[in-house]
Amino acid sequence: MPRPRERAESVILDCEAVQALMSATHPKHQAVIATMMNAANPRPGQRRLPRVIVPVAVRVEAGWDRTQPGSALVNVLSHATDWPLTASRADEATTLRVATGVSVVDATVGQAARESTKPVAIVTSDTGDMHRLAAHIDGIVRVARL
Amino acid sequence: MSKPKPQDLFDLLAKFDDVSESTVTSTRLPTILHDAVRVAVALGMDTSANDATNQALRDRVDSFALRLALDEHFREYPEARPSLAQVAIAAARLDGDPLGEEVELVTQAAEEIIERSPDAKPDDVLIYASALARHRQPRRSRTSAA
Repeated sequence: MPRPRERAESVILDCEAVQALMSATHPKHQAVIATMMNAANPRPGQRRLPRVIVPVAVRVEAGWDRTQPGSALVNVLSHATDWPLTASRADEATTLRVATGVSVVDATVGQAARESTKPVAIVTSDTGDMHRLAAHIDGIVRVARL
Repeated sequence: MSKPKPQDLFDLLAKFDDVSESTVTSTRLPTILHDAVRVAVALGMDTSANDATNQALRDRVDSFALRLALDEHFREYPEARPSLAQVAIAAARLDGDPLGEEVELVTQAAEEIIERSPDAKPDDVLIYASALARHRQPRRSRTSAA
């Protein structure tokens, strides 16, 4: 098991990852905070911090309204960039959904993974669906279990 | 100007991806650093020295803001702070390292290494866990090899 390995260039949060981040009482809160701490600390020699991405459909499902006063801390803790759903991305997400049978929101996670700089890590507790998506995407897509 | 609060920084960070005017500023750089940036850009580090400077500064501010946010969060919710083992496991999962699934082993490594080195980092834990894993592997007996 050699170290170090190449850290993910893109980190994509799924719905439960966001919910776990938003609630200090969520059973996976510590785990997702641990992930964010890693994403904010570049490895020696790492060119830049990984880009943390949240597809907008994930935000909707998780109930994360960035404009609410209660979201200020989560906005910073996640340091996540919104991944808007455009017409062409919706087409790609549809293709992934048809191929894998995952939910609409998970399909947008897969689409973000397909387009993002590799290696990609999808932070999720739903590893089965994300592995199915990863199998349909070229390049390194890791499923980082919460 | 009154002393800024962390929230002032968080509010500015929320606007990082908005289109904004640029400000021309002069920065005194050591000549060696200036030359190194010029050469690194020519070798493909970034598209320009300006982009390299902006990205480096942004990463620094992002990272600092996240530390501030985490400090605030841990003050309010001390139980939200992950253990060294949890941060190491999250690092392994982001890196696609099989140690990410060896929770017991990594936890043992974290407990042992922190006794010797209280400032141990997640990578130190994973290197130590990797050594423990090798040590645990069954060795070929000399008599059977003969």
